[in-house]
Order: sequence, then C-alpha cells, then structure tokens
Amino acid sequence: MTDFLNFLIAGLTRGSIYALIALGYTLVYGVLQLINFAHSEVFMSGAFGSLIIVQSVIGRGVHHLPWYGVTGVLLLGLTSGALIGAIVAWGLERVAYRPLRKRGAPKLAFLISAIGMSFFLSQLAGKLFNRFSDNNFPTYYNVNKHLFDIRGVHISLIQTIMIVSAVVMMLFLDTLVTHTKLGKSIRGVAEDAQTAALMGINIDKTISRTFIIGGALGGAAGFLFGSAFTVYNTMGFIPGVKAFAAAVLGGIGNIRGAMLGGLLLGVVESLVPTAPWVGGHTWIGTQWTDVVAFVVLVLVLMFRPTGILGERLGRAA
Amino acid sequence: MTSLSQSPDVTHPPTTDVVYDVRNVTLKFGGVTSLSDVSLHMNRGEILAVIGPNGAGKTSLFNSLTGVYTPQEGSILLAARVGDAQTPVLLDRKFGPFSLERRSRKTHEINHLGVARTFQNIRLFPALTALENVKVGVETRQTSGPISAMLGMPWQRREERESTERAYELLGFVGLTHRANDLAGSLAYGEQRRLEIARALGTEPGVILLDEPAAGTNPAEKRDLADLIRKINVEDNISVLLIEHDMKLVMSIAHRLVVLNFGQKIAEGSPEQIQKNPAVIAAYLGTTDDEDAAAEGGTA
Amino acid sequence: MSADVKTNLKRLLACLGLGVVLALMIGDQEGNQTDFGFAFKAAVFHPRILIFLGIGVLLYLAMTFRPRVAPYLTRAGVRPLAAGTASVVASYGLLNWSDSGNLTNGKLSTLAHGARDTSGISVIGRLFFGSAVPGLYWILFVLAIALAAAAIIVQKSALAWGAAGLSVLAGVWGFVAHEMVRSYLHSPDHSTGAFVALLGYATIASASVTVARTSGSEAATGAFLDRIFGWKPGFPLFVIGTAAALLGTFWASWFSPTDKNTSVFGMSDLFHGYPINGLTSAYLGWLVWVLLVASVVVAGAATWLQHKLLGWASVLVGAVALLISLLSMHNFSRIAADQKFDGAVQAWQNIGTGAWTLCAAFTVLAGAGWMVARKPVDAAADPVSPRPIGSDSLVSPGKSFAFTQAMLVVVLAGALFYPPTATGFWQTVLVTEIGTYVLLAVGLNVVVGWAGLLDLGFIAFYAIGSYTTAYLTDTLPVKPPHWLHLSPLMAIPFAIAICLVAGVALGFPTLRLRGDYLAIVTLGFGEIIRIVAINAKSITNGAQGAFGIPQPVVHLGPLHLKWGQDPLQYWYLLLVFIIVVVMLFRRLENSRLGRAWAAVREDEVAAQATGVNTVRVKLLAFAIGASTSGLAGVFFASQIGYINPDNFVLNNSILVVAYVVFGGMGSLSGAIAGAAVLTWLPEFLKAQVPAEDRQMWIGAVILLMMIFRPAGLLPAKRRAAELSGLDKVYSAETAAVPAGEGM
Repeated sequence: MTDFLNFLIAGLTRGSIYALIALGYTLVYGVLQLINFAHSEVFMSGAFGSLIIVQSVIGRGVHHLPWYGVTGVLLLGLTSGALIGAIVAWGLERVAYRPLRKRGAPKLAFLISAIGMSFFLSQLAGKLFNRFSDNNFPTYYNVNKHLFDIRGVHISLIQTIMIVSAVVMMLFLDTLVTHTKLGKSIRGVAEDAQTAALMGINIDKTISRTFIIGGALGGAAGFLFGSAFTVYNTMGFIPGVKAFAAAVLGGIGNIRGAMLGGLLLGVVESLVPTAPWVGGHTWIGTQWTDVVAFVVLVLVLMFRPTGILGERLGRAA
Repeated sequence: MTSLSQSPDVTHPPTTDVVYDVRNVTLKFGGVTSLSDVSLHMNRGEILAVIGPNGAGKTSLFNSLTGVYTPQEGSILLAARVGDAQTPVLLDRKFGPFSLERRSRKTHEINHLGVARTFQNIRLFPALTALENVKVGVETRQTSGPISAMLGMPWQRREERESTERAYELLGFVGLTHRANDLAGSLAYGEQRRLEIARALGTEPGVILLDEPAAGTNPAEKRDLADLIRKINVEDNISVLLIEHDMKLVMSIAHRLVVLNFGQKIAEGSPEQIQKNPAVIAAYLGTTDDEDAAAEGGTA
Repeated sequence: MSADVKTNLKRLLACLGLGVVLALMIGDQEGNQTDFGFAFKAAVFHPRILIFLGIGVLLYLAMTFRPRVAPYLTRAGVRPLAAGTASVVASYGLLNWSDSGNLTNGKLSTLAHGARDTSGISVIGRLFFGSAVPGLYWILFVLAIALAAAAIIVQKSALAWGAAGLSVLAGVWGFVAHEMVRSYLHSPDHSTGAFVALLGYATIASASVTVARTSGSEAATGAFLDRIFGWKPGFPLFVIGTAAALLGTFWASWFSPTDKNTSVFGMSDLFHGYPINGLTSAYLGWLVWVLLVASVVVAGAATWLQHKLLGWASVLVGAVALLISLLSMHNFSRIAADQKFDGAVQAWQNIGTGAWTLCAAFTVLAGAGWMVARKPVDAAADPVSPRPIGSDSLVSPGKSFAFTQAMLVVVLAGALFYPPTATGFWQTVLVTEIGTYVLLAVGLNVVVGWAGLLDLGFIAFYAIGSYTTAYLTDTLPVKPPHWLHLSPLMAIPFAIAICLVAGVALGFPTLRLRGDYLAIVTLGFGEIIRIVAINAKSITNGAQGAFGIPQPVVHLGPLHLKWGQDPLQYWYLLLVFIIVVVMLFRRLENSRLGRAWAAVREDEVAAQATGVNTVRVKLLAFAIGASTSGLAGVFFASQIGYINPDNFVLNNSILVVAYVVFGGMGSLSGAIAGAAVLTWLPEFLKAQVPAEDRQMWIGAVILLMMIFRPAGLLPAKRRAAELSGLDKVYSAETAAVPAGEGM
C-alpha cells in the first residue's frame, strides 16, 4: 500500500508535467487541427530560459533559502519559463505556421515545417548553450526534504511544487478559456474558423494568442521539469511525445481531456509497470514503461476512437 | 402502392416489385429525432422523389438507406437489381444472450448491392481527372488486385482498357466527353453534378439516389438534367430516388412523391395528388418558420 | 499611412531578427556550464553582428522593393540565370575543386591561393586563379551576371550576347585552369567544382541567349521545355550523349593509378605487352572509336529521322557498345591488378572518369534510340485517349512526357556510372544513407503520399525486416530451424511476408482512426518494436543486437555473385531494388488501386459511396509500404552486417516522413529526390559547417522549403491540383485548416 501510494504520487507528478505540455498540443490542435510538433522545443526553451534567468539572479551552486526565498525563486522560474516559452511559441507560429496558412499548404506540410523548426530550435539551443545533459538548476530547495511523510508515504517538496503549480495553471487556463473574451474567441475559432471570422473574430490574432498561452504553459512545465531533473537541448523530445499521446488519450482539442489524459498517462506509466507494488518484485518491469503507455493509448483509442472525453476545444467537458 | 400510370411523363410502365422496402425507420442523434417511424416503398423502375422543407430529414433518409447512418429502429430491405433477393440493410447481431448490437451494412457493401448515390454538396475527387473519377466507380466492380497491376498482367490490362472504355461511354452519356482529361475540381458546377452522376452510374447500380441534383444549376441545365434523369430511368432501366427542392423539376419527372416534414412522412402519392394534399401545402406554406422553405418552393 | 509605417516597421524588425538568428547560426560553438551562454554573447555582442544586421536591412529593402522588381522577375531568362548563379556560387564557394592528397581543403579559394604562384601551371591557368588580378574568377562571374541582368532589364540583345560570351569564357577558362592543375598535381581527382561551375556558366549563357532571342518579356518555361524536348523526342539526349562521349574520350583520364595517368589514347601503349585479351586489345586500339562513331551516327539518324526501326537499332548498338566497353574495362583493370602495376587488388579499380563517362554516353545514346522507338502515338491527334495524370509530370501531360523520359534516361545513366568515379566516402554514403532512405521513402510514399495516412512508425517495418534477416541468417540468440538457414537475399520473401502481416496487424485495429490519432498510434507502434528489441534479450540480443549477418550471395546456375566490403557492389544491388520497386509502383499508381487510394485520400465518404472498400484499400497501402520497408531492412542488415535497436529510433521515422513531404507528397520522383537531397545534405554540410550544427541547418532547410514551396520539390500533379484548389479557399485569409483536409 505504501509503495502503491508512493508510485501514485510519482505518477501524478509525472502526469502533471505531461498535462501541462499536452495543453499546448491540444490548444493548437483545437484552433488549427494540427499537431504542433515543435511544442517540445517550446518546453525546452522554457527550461533553458528559466535556467539562465534563475542562475543569473541567484547564482549557481547550492543555496539554503527560507521558504519565501524558495517561493520567490519558484515564481521567478515559472514566470521566466512561461515568458520564454510564450515568445518562442509566438515566433514559431509566425515562422512555421502562418506563412503556410497563407499559402493554403497541405496539412502534412505544417507537420514537416514544425519538425524542421523542432530540429532547428533544439540544435540552435545546443549550439548556443551546450549539448551536455547535465545542466542543473542551482539548488534552491532542499532536495531530500519530504514535505509530508505519513507512514512511509512521502511527498517531496519538488513533487508538491510540480503538482500544485500544474493544478493552479490548469485551473487558470480553464477559467481563461471558459470565461474570458479571449477564451470565447479561441473556442469560436476551434468550433468553426470561417464563421468566427464572419463574427468579427480576428483569426490570426486568436491563433497567435493560442500559441502564446500554450507556449507559456509549456515553458513553465519546462522550468518545473528542469528543476526536478536536468536541462539539455533534446530534453523536449520524450516528454513531448508522451504529452502528445496524453492529449490524444484525453481527446485532442479538448482542454480537460488533455489534463485528464496527462494525469492518467503519468499514473499509468508509474503504476502499471511497477505492479504489484511490493518489495522489488514486478510483473512487468519499468523497462516496459513506454510500451505500457502506448498499449494503453491504443486500447483506449480502439474503444473510444476520439479519446476519453472526445474532441473539440469548444465543448470542454 | 398506388399505380402511377396516369403520370404524363411515364413512357414505360414501372414494374411493381419493390426495390427499397423501408419500414418504421427511426433515426436519432442524441436527443434529436431526425427520422421518426418512416415507412416507404420504392418500386422498381420508378422515379420516386422525396421532398420536404429544409431539415425534414431527407438527407438523413438517404444516409440511412446507404449505410452512412444506422437507424435505431425499423428495417430496410433492399433488392436493387432485377432478380435480386431482398437483403436487409440493417443487421442485428447478437453478442451472447444479452447484448444486441445493431449495425448497418457498410456503405461500400450497399453500393456493391447496386445502390449508387450523389451528394447534396458535390463530393468528387477533385484532384483526379473527370475520366479517372468515373473509372473509380467502374473499377469497384473489377477484380484484379495490386499484384497483377504491378506485374502488368494481361487480364489487368484488359480490365483497365474496359474501365476506360466504359468510363468514356458514361462521360458521353452525361455529355462530358470533351472534359475527360480535365481535373474534376476544374469543371463548372453543372458539369460536376453530371460527373457525379456518371461516377455513380459507373458502379452499375439498380437504384440511383440523387441528392438535390439541380441545386445551383441554371434553367437550361435543369432541363438537361431532367432529360438525363429520364434517360437513366428509361434507357438504363435504373430506379431513381430523388431529393429535390425544385418543384417544377420534381413534378415533371417523378412518378411518385414522398413528402417528409420534421422527420415524419406526411404524404405519399402521384404529383397531382401531392399538389392537392392539404398537409403538404401546410408544411410548405402554412405553419411556423417556413418562409424560406416556401421561398425555395417558389423559386422552383 | 500610419498602418503603412507600422507594417514597414514590423517588417524591418522581422528582417533584423532574422539577421540576428543568422548571426547565432553562424556563430561560435557553445560554452560549458560555467560559461553559460558564451556563444550567444559572442554572436550577438560583437561588432560582427553589424554584418548580419546589414543582411537584415538588405532583406528588408529587397522585400520592400519587391513589387517594383516583380515584373522583371517573370521575364524570360530570369529563372535559368538564378539557377546558373546559384550553381556558380556553390561551385566557387562551397564545392571542392580538387581533392588530391596534399590539399586538405580543396575549395577554389585555397586552390587558387596555391596555384596562382605555381610555375608548373601555364600562365593561362594562373591568370584565372588570380596571378595578375586577385580573385579574377569572381570578377568574371560578377561581370557576366551583371551583364545578363542588365540585358534582362533593358532588353538589349547586344548586352545579352556579351553576357553569353563572357560566361562561356569564364566557364571554359575555369574548366581549363582546373584541368591544368589536375595534370600538374597528377593524381586522381573526384572533385565536382569545375564541372558545376561549367554547367552553371552554361546555364547563364543559355539564359542570356534566351534573353537575346526573345522579344517578349514573359517567360514561358514550360512551353520552352516542351518545344525543346517535344520537337524531336530523343534528340536532346542524342546531343547530351554525344557531348559526354566526346568528353569521355578526348578529355578525361581512362586509367588513374597514382603514377600512370593516361587518356584513352595512351591505353594501348600502357597495356602493350600485358596479357590483355584480344577483345580488350582491339577495344583499346580501334574498336572504341568504331563503337563511338557507330552509336553516335545511329542515334543521330534515329532521332533526327524519328524512325522507329533506327531507334531500336540505336538501342542495340548502344547496348553492344556498353557491353564491350564493360568487358574490356573489366579485363584491363583485372590484368593491371594481377600485374600489380597500379596498386590495385582486384578488377574495376583505378578506372578513370573517361571510361565511365563513355559508358554513360552509350547508355544515353541507347536511351535516345529507345525514346524514338517507344514514341507514343501522337496524343494531340487522339483527343479521347486517356491521359492519366502520373505522379511525375510537373508540366502538362503530353509533350512533357518526352522531357520526363529524357530526364529518366539521364538519371539512370548517372546512377549507373557516376558512383564508380566518386570517392569511397561518397560511395558509402550513397549506399548506407541515400540509397537505403530512397527505398524507404518510396515505400512510405505509398502510405503517406497516395493513401494519405500519416505513419510515424515506418521505421518499425525496417526493423522487422532487419531482424527477420538476422534471424534467418542465424545471428540472433533465437535460432531458426536448421532447415531454414538462408542467405540474406533469400530472406527477402520472408521479410516481405512478415512485414505485410505486421502492416496489416497494425493497420487493422487502427485504420478507423482519423489522421492524427493514426499518427500517434503508429508512432507508438514504432517505439514498441524498438523497446521490444531492446528488452527481449533472449530473442534479439538486446541493445547489442545481432552481429555477423552474412553478406549477400547469389548462386543462380552459372552465375555466382558474392558481395564483399566494397560499397559499390551494394550500390548496384540497391539500384536493382529501387528500379524494380519504382517500376512496380508506377504501374500501381495508375491502376485501379492507385485511383482508389487517391479517392480515399480525397474524400473517404464519397469513395465509400462509390463502392470503394476503404478499409481494404488502406490496409493494402499499409501492407505494401511496410513490405518495401522490410526489403530495405533486409538490404541494410546484410550490407552493414550488424544491427541494433539504435538503428531504428523514432527520429528516423520522422525523417522519412520529412523526406517524402520535402520531395513532394504522392510523387515517386519527389520521394526519391526528397530522400536523396536530405540524406546527401548532411554529408555535404560536413565540409561546410561544424559537424554538430548540421541538423540545425537541415531543420532550417526543411523549414524554408515548406514555407516557400509547401508542395515540395517535385510535387505530384494530383497533389498540386489539390493545393491550387485550396488556394482559392484560403485567399480569404479567414480559415484555419479544416480537419479532414490534406494528409
């Protein structure tokens, strides 16, 4: 039971990162019906950007900060990651999507231009910063500290931070999309772009802003991921693929679906390979994690071909 | 049902055996009932028109007949070609003693049973030439596979030649020979309508379902179209099921009409009977929000 | 007005931003963790940024004045002028002009630096390299371009003729100068720079001639090509073949061991007294000339008179000439190796460019005859004959058929006889990268291009093919039954069958999913296969993979072929695979199934209503694509000899999709060209940019291609139609991309 709960918490942590990235995929899919393959690089850019900013503010190395210090660094990291992510996503849309849209390119051309952009960004980041896989954030929180520790079930600080910030951002996004004017126009474009345009919604602007919102979430996720693990130029690839799978799992184009899909995928990935959660014995083994994830995805899609919650950004739930 | 030989345009008496036997069909989408308890017969060799205001369920009926939608209740029996046995379109399948799954035959299966159709909003393959569009239809009746195509086997070449010849025949039939090598997407609207009919005829149907074939065409094209439909009906002995808003066209070519309103059949009979039917007049002119429907009837 | 200012300001900022990005791309490499962002600072906070900002400003100016320039850009001669300029710039700036051992960097600038002061080179050559005026070749180039551009703008034919003369001069001079260096250095030379420059100048010259000869201002490239290639089918090939034959005999070296470089004229003397056989002796003495003259005369007569029988005669003469040439080449090179007089160990080594060029020439001349012999009945006279829109006809069907055919012959001749003259490095690249991925792209084109299904796990079938080969050749931990030990080539039918099954197994449950769902499921499938290969150690030997997969052998009656280490041997095997697959697929594309694929891709509901069994059709696409991939897998495994899961990463699947789309979805020639270009590019970039940066440049190239030519390099006619159809919809600038479109 303790092991189960620990794995569950680890899964939720992983899942909240997936969910944050998946939101970027799903938002863009909602308005454009396109997979934004370069979204993983937005995530990476957010990580690098926040790393640079946090490092230049507090310096490298180990810091023993009081709680408000930790909170400050956290907010700084989140905002800087979100900012850089938003800028990169905006640029991405301007460079890799809008010109193709104006030319009425076939759908696959968008995919390929996004892939080109993805190669370009990740390698440019590698060139400018470095291609090592051990760029660490300065230690601004106590890595070993367990925030809660109830009979062997422990939640570390970083896990709490990740889950809580992810949940807050998702709630924020949900409110944004359901209640604001911007959200209304996003939903309008997702529902029917041509009609939305006739209703006076500026399609270009809305798409641009959708990318910005998705990019901000992805960039913030990059910071969270980077704080917990490490930052490198191809770090976006695997979480990107998983988040894409999560978005599809929940029903691509559906915001709550992306959240649900992300969390679910994280939990499944964490729990299934480690079953039956006693001792070191497992039935499946963690080396099969990715296989489990994709098999679950295929099974879900076989029975619900449009994901758990179905498609469409407009109809959130 | 009622005999229609008094209809002025009938040049050959339709045989009486039934092509489509639709009984008590109900189709729902979520809470919306699109067809409710619709029954109708379509006799072999006749031109049957389905009319009704917008949203009356005409296209839903077509989609149910061709396997695009699966009605929840009722039965549809089909015997498209002469001498065919009646075949159910809707299949009920038992999964063990408890569950009962209902599915429709696949669209392409129904097509192979001899039902061809056109679409309200033209659905050609715009990047293929007119000829190739028709060939796609013709070739669904052929049997040569990919390997014989890759190896260029003699029988495959023969089939290829045959399909080309047949496609040219059909293009000639609808008057599009001169556009054979043009991309379907580049044809004029009326030409696209006719090409869609040619493609449908390519599948050697016993019944053809035409969904608003005259929409968006000019009076001259409408006249040609009426001739074409009669020609299909008479020369090729194909039963025609027609959705059309243009009353003049419908009245001039249909042997019999079925009127739908709000998913229900409100009348059935010869053009004369329908024109006099008070329920039909009410549906088109009378009640609530039917100004546009009336307008449509009027423009006819 | 203010909106105008705002637009301009935005544009300027974008251009400056682009300049900064360019500065970053061309800047230093990364620092390390302690020196974070070093490269960024070095690239941006350094005076050299001004150059890049200048480039940005230039770009801004170009964009701003584009409307004024645009009318000139459609004039005749502009496109070939641009192409010629690009190839000369590439030749002068990027390509090698010499790769002899003592020059580490054989680019023109380096070569010129050394050559202009070398007294062993004639003064004509030194002059070109800049002994009197440094950088003379650039000056010549700029002058020629400026003259040609001026001619286009003011439409003065005198200027155009001047430009043509100057570019012929510059091209020939450069070529001669390069020849002088080559004969001075006296060593084999594989460099392409001088050729490309010559071709580029020829293009500029022909552009200038076009300008001089056309009074109208609008270019009509398609009509022009139609006129040239449709005038007398095969005649352009005859011209090309004759030129190549003359080049191969009169100019190029035939035998190039380090110290016995000789042209065809010296061959007879060189082998005098060595035990070459009678045929070879005759060939080197006089037969080569007879064959040359015979094939040129017959091909010339056939193409000029358009006589079918003469056409077949030309095919026959060309084939015989080719056969005799190859036999003789084999004989003398084997004797040379036996006699150890050139350091070669086996036949075919040290044969010079000339002999191969002559072989190519014979092929092209035979091809010219073939075009005459197979000339179709005049399509214009027969308006009702079907003209299926094949994937490859860019220009309107009809006369351009002749152009396509001619290109086909030239490409085939190049594919057959260029590789032997390339360096070992390029031969390896040709086999392991270019050829293999061309085969994969051709296979994926069926799935993505024709059936419109996005498959992001295509490499899985490649893996299955490779592992099947490893299993059947007994190199995996799990052993095949003892009666089933096969040579790799015998594994092909098994691999194809297994991939067919795997394709259907993947397709069956997933094909009812729409595009993007299918993409992630296939991606997952690819990853599952790879992870299974890593984890199922008892079957696949885990991450180590399989070792010692034997090389292919063929024992067919008297024919015994054994493949060894030489990449060239594999190239020819691969070429056979590619040609067979492409021929089969070409037929498939214009068959019942090909049209059904197009129908399903265009409108699935309509296809169903027309009686197309969409599930079956899609499954067939999956299966046929998968089996092609499996074939490539067999080849890969037996060529490289060892496989492991790292060969089959997700990135490769994505790259193959990129190749197909880059080349032009749904077009066989596009898929081939896309794969060839994008696999060649990284190897080419090795000499141009730091190795780590290559992927970045490739990403940029892909991006630019999609922005400026979203239909790809050689778009399929069927697809191009789709695209132009969409243009109308999108000109309203309101719509996002509809869900069901494209793919």
